[in-house]
Amino acid sequence: MVEGLVSTEKARGPEGGFVGRQVRWALRKPMNLEKLALAVQRVSGVGLLVYLFFHLFVTGSVTSGREGWDGVMGMLSNPLAHIGEVLVVAGATFHGVNGVRVMLLELTALVGKPVRPDYPYKVQSLGKGQQSILWTATIMAGLAMIAGIVILWGL
Amino acid sequence: MRESTLQLINYVMILALLVTLVLHLAMQAFLGVSGYEEALAYDTAVARYREPLSASLLTILLVAATYHGVWGLRNVLLGVRAGPAWGRAVTGVTLVLGIVMLGWGVRTIVLAFAGA
Repeated sequence: MVEGLVSTEKARGPEGGFVGRQVRWALRKPMNLEKLALAVQRVSGVGLLVYLFFHLFVTGSVTSGREGWDGVMGMLSNPLAHIGEVLVVAGATFHGVNGVRVMLLELTALVGKPVRPDYPYKVQSLGKGQQSILWTATIMAGLAMIAGIVILWGL
Repeated sequence: MRESTLQLINYVMILALLVTLVLHLAMQAFLGVSGYEEALAYDTAVARYREPLSASLLTILLVAATYHGVWGLRNVLLGVRAGPAWGRAVTGVTLVLGIVMLGWGVRTIVLAFAGA
């Protein structure tokens, strides 16, 4: 009779917290632009939601009259808030353009035709069309960031 | 409601968000406003809420951004852990967050439009 190997240890899940796992997953080799894009899309999405939440309460001060509005605007006219605004502009631009790529991927034939996975394996989902949209998103986010800096600091 | 229906609504919201966000930013940046300082002035902000077309645009933007944001957050949180209890908790929390954001935003638009 062959004795079976039975482990008495509890099965271990992936190490680290959710954020650590996501970072390791996004940066794990082989590097994949699509994985990085998804990670940035998620981070920018959560960041934009946090911004929207506070933006609603900031703009809500318009109902408390001129004093209330000017008080809140005065509180937000500092370099740290401006840096946040520039990040929001860049994040929103990337999120928007990359989001269009994801929508096209889900709703059109942009994903490409399936082929047999022969060694050495190549990422087949990120075709030229998608790559160009992804790079456009990155470039546009950079340009939006520059525009934001010019508007906020008048450089 | 089925997940596929919610996702379809999300697509519609994304399209509405893209259009209204571009218009919203354009109105802050160059359409009828001469600069950043003027865009943040109290009179400009109040005028934005009192103008029916602009107030309608803000309402559509609010609904679209809140739905898309809360739906996205729900998807991210559902990826953290598995299980029906976690799923229900995430759905509940994101639903409450969405209602709070929507409620506060609509309150601002209505009060500012009515001239409070």
